[in-house]
Amino acid sequence: MLRRPLWSRVVLAALGACLVLFVVGPLLRLLWESSPSSLVDALRDQELRASIALTVFTATVATVLAALLGVPLAYLLARRPFPGRRIVQGLVDLPVVVPHPVAGIALLLFLGRRSPVGSTLAQLGLEFVSHVPGIIAAMLFVSAPILVSGAREAFRGVDPQLERVARTLGDTGWSAFRRVTLPLAARGILAGSILAWARSVSEFGSIVILTYNPKVASIYIFDRFTAFGLRAAVPAAVILLLVAITVFVVVRVLQPEERR
Amino acid sequence: MIRLEKLHVRVGSFDLCDISLEVPKGGYALIIGPTGSGKTTLLEAVAGHARLRSGRVFMHDDDVTDLPPERRGLGFVYQQYHLFPHLSVRDNIAYGVARNGRDSQRRVEELAQMLTIEPLLDRPVRGLSGGEQQRVALARALAPKPSILLLDEPFAAVDPATRLVLRRELRELHEREGITTLQVTHDFDEALRLGDLVAVLSEGRIAQSGTPEHVFRYPNSAFVARFVGTGNVIAGTVQRSEAGDQGGAFRGRFLGGNLALDVVAEREGPIHAVIRPEDIVLSLTHHPDSARNHMEGRVVRLERLGPVTLVHLDVGRPLIASVTTASADEMGLHPGVPVIVAFKATAILLV
Repeated sequence: MLRRPLWSRVVLAALGACLVLFVVGPLLRLLWESSPSSLVDALRDQELRASIALTVFTATVATVLAALLGVPLAYLLARRPFPGRRIVQGLVDLPVVVPHPVAGIALLLFLGRRSPVGSTLAQLGLEFVSHVPGIIAAMLFVSAPILVSGAREAFRGVDPQLERVARTLGDTGWSAFRRVTLPLAARGILAGSILAWARSVSEFGSIVILTYNPKVASIYIFDRFTAFGLRAAVPAAVILLLVAITVFVVVRVLQPEERR
Repeated sequence: MIRLEKLHVRVGSFDLCDISLEVPKGGYALIIGPTGSGKTTLLEAVAGHARLRSGRVFMHDDDVTDLPPERRGLGFVYQQYHLFPHLSVRDNIAYGVARNGRDSQRRVEELAQMLTIEPLLDRPVRGLSGGEQQRVALARALAPKPSILLLDEPFAAVDPATRLVLRRELRELHEREGITTLQVTHDFDEALRLGDLVAVLSEGRIAQSGTPEHVFRYPNSAFVARFVGTGNVIAGTVQRSEAGDQGGAFRGRFLGGNLALDVVAEREGPIHAVIRPEDIVLSLTHHPDSARNHMEGRVVRLERLGPVTLVHLDVGRPLIASVTTASADEMGLHPGVPVIVAFKATAILLV
């Protein structure tokens, strides 16, 4: 490591400390605000329990869908040079820069009853607007890029020669993938999935436009805040924060040291 | 048996052209060539990883050109070994025979014993030394009892002492298991020690093939002569010095590299003269002999290789002669000593 003069180390440390405090401070303040008994009380609230259950369920479905559709795509993007790969890559990453209410409006126009796609699906019994599938659609839209890029990096980290070795040892292309590449990429894919899941749990902007009711946790908190004020929103906010932190810790443990 | 018929492979802008080669059953062939000559691409084509533009690949008289790698029944040891990092040594070796249950464990133990890696079996592959990885990779390739073994620079990443041991083991293993082997190397010395057959690859084509001794003694081009280290290669031209045009060999004069040499030639015009160091005779004084070419020179440097010493000479151009170390000492050769350099007309190979 390069040795720096003392004053420069002090300045760097001070700048960094400001940012860390700014991130940690509000979260600690929020935790401080709640007591264990108020959390227990909040959990007795049937509506809060239902919203958390709904959030966990919809986020899980969205993540499974994103994995089913996204992992094969991630493999293609990591391994196979195909025409337009850069364009596909860009399109997959696009939702990251779309403001979430904008995503919600776009999804509303695309999946609403007046659109050809929405009306066709509605005839098949799949309603999005103000229904649970709407929540899942919004979550999928915002979280899929996270899963795809996580899985893509995981596949990139696996030496493609290993599959060739497996082929010479009698594996078909599929079984070489299943026995070598997939196990080696599994941690990275799982970490990407958990991040995508966490992103879904925290989504608000697009869901609020597509499906206000039934309420996911983030909308429930917003609803409590606007209807009853700050004190009423805190316990629910703390519970959602604890769920998010738990997931975050799990991801950190799963990720290999060098990528942290 | 491996037979390649007029293979043409394109990888990016690189072409491997017109590759024909036959390795007899149980034979040991080496492909040698400098970096970028297409050696690895050739092995990948034999293994079925690279798509052929044209040509056929036969194994034991079966046309396998259209078979995927897993149905060709071959073992492949890569230069960087590519052990599976998520599996133990045992599971790496058992990878290709995992379906065979109990038999697979017996085969793993047998190979581990043969390659002296039994103590490593339950270790992860991380942390193995280069030589250990090499043995594990070899055991893994041999476990399914392939009839053909492909080796890509198998000794490149191990230290010289380990290389000697592995080379000997590999040759013994080859003889014991009777596997038809095709190995890639950039080291002609390896070809001389291991191979029954050698093919020299240059820019995607086979420049020459044959027994290692033959290729070494009779290179067919200046490239091969330089690459296998046959000896002094001098560019020049040949002129006929005898009248008459009866065809066949004739006495001629080779002019090139500040030298004028008497040669026995078969054609006139631009050509390379190859002179083996061991065919050059050095003496301190003029004395009559049957050699047609005599010249005066000066010792520049001595390169002692144990029993043999290479004498770097200046005869108006650099020339390398080899003498026994004993006679170099007897003659008192050292840098600056003037010597008489002689060699026969028939000792000059024109390519």
